[in-house]
Amino acid sequence: MAAKAGNWQSYKRVLLPPVRDLHRLSVYGDYGALRKALARYSPKEVTEIVKASGLKGRGGAGFPTGLKWSFMPPVDPDVPRFLCCNGDESEPGTYKDRQLMEFNPHQIFEGILISNYAISAKACYLYIRGEFADWITLMEEELDKAYAANFVGENIMGSGFSADIILHKGAGAYICGEETSLMESLEGKRAYPRIKPPFPAQSGIWGYPTTINNADTLACVPPIIAHGAEWFAAIGAPDHPGPLLYGISGHVNRPGVYEYPSGMLITDLLEVAHGMRADKKLKAVVPGGASVPVLRADMIDGVTMDANSLRAAGSMLGTAGLLFLDEDTDMVSFLRRVTRFYHHESCGQCTPCRDGTGWMENLVTRIDEGQGNTRDLDLLLDLCDQMEGRTVCALADAAAWPVRNTIKRFRADFEAKCRKAIWATETKAA
Amino acid sequence: MADFIKNPVVALPDRDPAPHFSEEELIFTAEEKVRIARWVAQYPTPDGAVMWTLWLAQEKFGFLPPEVLRLVAAELGIPYAQVYGVATFYTQYFKEKKGRYVLDVCTCFSCQFTGGYDVLHYLEKKLGVHAGETTPDGCFTIQEVECLGACGSAPMLQVSNGPYVYCLTPAKIDALLDALKAGRMPGFTSVTLPQDEDEMGGNRRTDADASISYSTMPIAEQTR
Repeated sequence: MAAKAGNWQSYKRVLLPPVRDLHRLSVYGDYGALRKALARYSPKEVTEIVKASGLKGRGGAGFPTGLKWSFMPPVDPDVPRFLCCNGDESEPGTYKDRQLMEFNPHQIFEGILISNYAISAKACYLYIRGEFADWITLMEEELDKAYAANFVGENIMGSGFSADIILHKGAGAYICGEETSLMESLEGKRAYPRIKPPFPAQSGIWGYPTTINNADTLACVPPIIAHGAEWFAAIGAPDHPGPLLYGISGHVNRPGVYEYPSGMLITDLLEVAHGMRADKKLKAVVPGGASVPVLRADMIDGVTMDANSLRAAGSMLGTAGLLFLDEDTDMVSFLRRVTRFYHHESCGQCTPCRDGTGWMENLVTRIDEGQGNTRDLDLLLDLCDQMEGRTVCALADAAAWPVRNTIKRFRADFEAKCRKAIWATETKAA
Repeated sequence: MADFIKNPVVALPDRDPAPHFSEEELIFTAEEKVRIARWVAQYPTPDGAVMWTLWLAQEKFGFLPPEVLRLVAAELGIPYAQVYGVATFYTQYFKEKKGRYVLDVCTCFSCQFTGGYDVLHYLEKKLGVHAGETTPDGCFTIQEVECLGACGSAPMLQVSNGPYVYCLTPAKIDALLDALKAGRMPGFTSVTLPQDEDEMGGNRRTDADASISYSTMPIAEQTR
């Protein structure tokens, strides 16, 4: 099976192009894509271009970006509208947005401004997780320079269009990556996700129409405007086009964030990362952050990094943060840490999630410590059924998927750690 | 009154603990008030500025006891209960006194399988306290935290909600602790992208204090 990524060996990077000190405004240049959008296109045309490019959200759910923008209600001069840029990157195994903030913050700013123009919003809240304190400082400095150069603020570059970017510092909560929870957090409340509908486009922050996009998604917008929708749609897999930041971690020789077209073969990515460490054999791959189902090594042949291929293989694209695990990995211990994560990060609003994640951690811990019974595995699977789709947000689902699939795909590992049956299974007739 | 109300299963926190700060200490200076006013102006209602103001208060007072939360509530003109709710929801706001340096060791799965727990246990052994505790001299607090978003440079830790320290080894941890004891915080480290290594021969940033390259094997192996 041919890779959908095409000729990725000769791919030229656009999100993190190889330019020294690109994070400085002096090196970055003149916000050319924004200038082009403001001068040549109407807001509706910008939305149409992004729609035609096929850009899909990079935050995990993969919702088409142009379509999301078109959900905004018609402009009413009395009602403010907002854009939120989601930089609350907390999914374990994902660290792509931080690289963009570190090396190319102005592309995020430019993407924000073009999107602001497309949805006719006057302000964007850029929510960055509190742990990224150093990167928030950097973004603040660069934003000040962009304001001074009139790329942001009143009457941008004399076009008559005004937009502000406001940085918001989080304080350590995974749930703030969920869009409605992020809005609650911005409003200065405990970040409990809201029930949808109403969707953010109808009633978002402070009840005003709001669109929320991932920082990586918005960084894809300036190249689309600069080079056109067809150029973007031709990169990588047709159903999920564009450049993708693959965050590779785990037992590989050269982990890191790699920019390649979408639709890369997982095996190619392993090769790009110089293979498994100490020449060990691959045991499992988590293709898109903690919440996507784990794949066994024998399941990745011919699987490419795009939504359809991964769905067919029994997983999801998520955030494209790949974790490679070698043959020595204890999958029970892996799942124990994943359930611990969800237990810690559950906001506590809905009972199935608040209690369910706790019981998951207790059960997996018991198995990991050799005190579990095989019936605990069935209890865990039953617990997944009780949690999925029964809460306000998708955190309970995200907690249930790895549990269900890790047990399903590595059942032998779990059974080996369970206590042996208390009565002999072999009964010989006397 | 029902028994379980009088004797709750979980010990409830003291609702009115003795204050840590005196009345004179509990003020924002004129300069800080200007910063707070700037944040308030950025949101439709003053509520939005509560997270920034709590960060400022934590920077100033070190942690957020009830009297500091009351000060923040009064400054923003919002209910104390709301400020208390926000402060207790987010893990990075310290509700009790911590050490001078807080070492947040990431142990989420990428770090777990490259030696995150080895780092944590090494620190516990070296400092003689468990995760979540402060050393008797009040210098260090060790904490186990969820993913810090630096999975490619695992195992790593964060010092006092500030700089990240990547690719830890016992030698590197020793050097870090010595530097912190002498009052030197680590600077900003930029981690080279593997593709930059190939295409640009190293880190693209020329202004970072230090940079870590990916050309060698991850150092984490040595903590095993």
